[in-house]
Amino acid sequence: MSDQEPAIGIDLGTTNSVVATVRDGVPRVIPNRAGQALTPSIVAVAKNGKKLVGALAKRQAITNAENTVFAAKRLIGRRWGSKEVEDARRVLPYPLVAGPEGNDVRVQLAGHTYAIPEISAMVLSELKADAEAWFGRPISRAVITVPAYFNDGQRHATKDAGRIAGLEVLRIINEPTSAALAYGFGKQVERKVVVFDLGGGTFDISILDIGKSVYDVVAVGGDTYLGGEDFDRRIIDWLTFGFAKENGGVDLREDKMALQRLKDSAERAKIELSGTSTAAIHLPFLVGGGEGKPALHLDRQIGREKLEELTRDLVDRCIAVTERTLKDAGVRPAQVGEVILVGGMTRMPRVQKAVKDFFAREPCRGVHPEEVVALGAAIQAHALTAPQSGAEVLLLDVTPQNLGIMVVGGYFQTIIPRNTTVPTSETHLFTTVQDNQTAVRIAVLQGASERAVDNELLGEFVLGGIRPARRGEVEIEVTFEISADGIVGVSARDVVTGQQQSITVTATSGLTEEEMKRILDERVDELLEKKQSTQEYELRKDRVGPVLAEIEGLRPAVQEALERTRFGKDAVQKAEGVLARVRQAMDAHDSAALAELEEALERTLQLFKGLAEAGRGQGPGRGDG
Amino acid sequence: MNVERDAEAVYDPAALAEDVDLDLERRKEILHAEAVAAGGTLWQALGLPWNAPTSAVKSAYLEAAKVFHPDRYAGKRLGTYRARLERIFRRATEARDVLGEETRRAAYARTTAPATEFTKMEARKLDDERRSAERRARLARQNPLVARAARVGELVGRGKAALERGDFLAAANDLQLAQSIDPSNPELSALAAEAKRRGAAQRAADQFDKAMAAEAMGSFSAAAAGYRAALDADPRHVRAAAAGARMALKLGDLSTAREMAQAGVRAGPGLGVAHEALGMVLEAQGDKKEARRALEKALELDPKLELAKERLKKLRWGILG
Repeated sequence: MSDQEPAIGIDLGTTNSVVATVRDGVPRVIPNRAGQALTPSIVAVAKNGKKLVGALAKRQAITNAENTVFAAKRLIGRRWGSKEVEDARRVLPYPLVAGPEGNDVRVQLAGHTYAIPEISAMVLSELKADAEAWFGRPISRAVITVPAYFNDGQRHATKDAGRIAGLEVLRIINEPTSAALAYGFGKQVERKVVVFDLGGGTFDISILDIGKSVYDVVAVGGDTYLGGEDFDRRIIDWLTFGFAKENGGVDLREDKMALQRLKDSAERAKIELSGTSTAAIHLPFLVGGGEGKPALHLDRQIGREKLEELTRDLVDRCIAVTERTLKDAGVRPAQVGEVILVGGMTRMPRVQKAVKDFFAREPCRGVHPEEVVALGAAIQAHALTAPQSGAEVLLLDVTPQNLGIMVVGGYFQTIIPRNTTVPTSETHLFTTVQDNQTAVRIAVLQGASERAVDNELLGEFVLGGIRPARRGEVEIEVTFEISADGIVGVSARDVVTGQQQSITVTATSGLTEEEMKRILDERVDELLEKKQSTQEYELRKDRVGPVLAEIEGLRPAVQEALERTRFGKDAVQKAEGVLARVRQAMDAHDSAALAELEEALERTLQLFKGLAEAGRGQGPGRGDG
Repeated sequence: MNVERDAEAVYDPAALAEDVDLDLERRKEILHAEAVAAGGTLWQALGLPWNAPTSAVKSAYLEAAKVFHPDRYAGKRLGTYRARLERIFRRATEARDVLGEETRRAAYARTTAPATEFTKMEARKLDDERRSAERRARLARQNPLVARAARVGELVGRGKAALERGDFLAAANDLQLAQSIDPSNPELSALAAEAKRRGAAQRAADQFDKAMAAEAMGSFSAAAAGYRAALDADPRHVRAAAAGARMALKLGDLSTAREMAQAGVRAGPGLGVAHEALGMVLEAQGDKKEARRALEKALELDPKLELAKERLKKLRWGILG
């Protein structure tokens, strides 16, 4: 093998993220420094001002809710004021504000305002550091996955997050496609494969034609408002309705705290019902009675059948979308050679049965649903960095959404339809609509709606210098080009004069180039600081570690001494507090906190030594006796 | 392999000298494929023979993708070769989309049939015709009793042949003569009437051709009169009606244009050209919505109508200022 720098694949998830790589020709997950495959996609600023990422951030989330950011993926690349952002603002405990241009979303965290890509970048940095620790060398290149329905803006924002994290993002690929890559890796697969991905918030379906190690994406479809949360909501509605009936019309949804508890237990019950036939929901003191009335409790049982009845239409919708996508692709269910289930919701037996009935075949269970996406990303990263190295996979991806421009009347004219294999290009002729019009504005849009305003604006430019003529007489040739790495280029040309104008669609992540530059500069400072603090921490650890070990060694003797005398009990209790804080600081790699504690630790050692001495001093007589 | 020798002349040798991370053979292969993609058929884009079955297409596409997809050369300096690879790949994808689907493949095969295939088919047809004529003549010579019947048969045969050939005036002659020899044959009289009707249609067609020639030479009023005469001779001549409507429109005679366009749609409700003409008349009248509907109908019936496509585009898509 070459000593080329390895590349990684990252599944940047809504709740958890995973990093993987291909080593010695085998794709494998890289555990984080705590030894776990999954790193929670959570970022927090602790009370002492330290940034925390992953499990550490998750652990303190309940006590520090307003300074803990989770589910950033729901916000990345979204426009301020969009439905998704409005929904998120209602349910997320951390404050959101509009960006400086008023079009993107920012998070306020401990007095500092962060763009969403910056938040995601913190998670990516953590994963990068995990990979670097695992390989023992710097890592700079990665493939990152996104849901298939992500539009260009969201993809760009994810790419920006990678850049901020110091990664060269080789490619953004779709999660279902990635799952298929992992499924087919190392096998001689010659068949059509359907990836059925039902996650927390969305449903994605992808059809691939695999042959000769080429993964040809035939079609992608899905429903961006259909996922596990909708199943939860059905349970919540059922619970609140029943509760209102029993308690004279008390609406639980009016109480934010009660609703949060309901949500948690509804989700838990749903997961439980995948393995058992009934689940109990027990929520004591759910709402205060008010005006001297006693508090109300909720206590109910839900059976699997009830859940299936409540969510039957949701499962039906999944199947309907599947059917439509297959039809669009001209594929009959019988032609499908394998169905891969991805996403937590596919653990529900009813979903599995619906899939099985529709395709008349047992879905594939050979892939690990949590890790499969990252593994696929690693395979693609490997293919893009070490081509012609044996593991010759080739991914032929498609455009997830229609691309086009706005035409007269505010309509959207598709130029490259969805499910077109990239790289691709397409040209259409348009005409002017006004007499002596000398300029046209080309608004580049992406989406499924016929109305331009309902679609995502990717960019716009003006083609000027058009020769004056009657309306309809000037012909403008508009060409769209999508490169293999998904970059969209648009050009417009006056057919007669040859006057031409073009853009590369880029800046839609909400971050301007200057902002990006500032963030990257800041990151360099931060890295230097971090490096310094890491060195400092190592030094401290080397000093504190032996002391801690010595204290632990003395513990049995101290314990013995304490059993005999009441003396020193208070002091030891205090000392235990110091020890706990030292361990916490070690966990968090917090050298500043360690420095503060060093003196107290030294005193603890002296105390333990003294007590142990005292214990031993009295000990011999007893020992001899 | 003369294909390769031909192709070698097509690409610019200077391109071969570009400093990129590709060895000479690969550069040659790419330049050759690019020349084929630009000038060859979709079959050639996938390295397939003409009329290869759909089953061969997928495999050929995968092979092409493995060689020409830009991801195959990720991380390498490609210079202008990146754009070349993308062009080759795009053409291969187009080929897969068209040739991988049975109906589109068949249509494309017809338009790209090589000359040798055509000659073969034509030769076969002529051979069949000659043999059957000899058989008929042999039969007629055998016996005087059957001679009369044979004479009728011969006339009918010739008439039918003329009908088939499209020479309806000659057909009408022969068939009417045959009818006079054998007046009690109902099949024969039906055939004669048909020939007469077709004769009129042929006159209409002649008029139509003349009108087309007049139009091409720019004498629009002569063309308009010609189309009108063609339509009078054969009220079912949809194309004459459509062309007449177009001419009348050009001459500013909106009411004649409308009348002819409507006659066209009545005569041929299943023909795209009729709806196309109607759509243009409606557009001239300012009735955009109806015009669009007619043009869409026209394209639905015949997706190759360039004029309708263009008009429709203008009706639909102007760019906002």
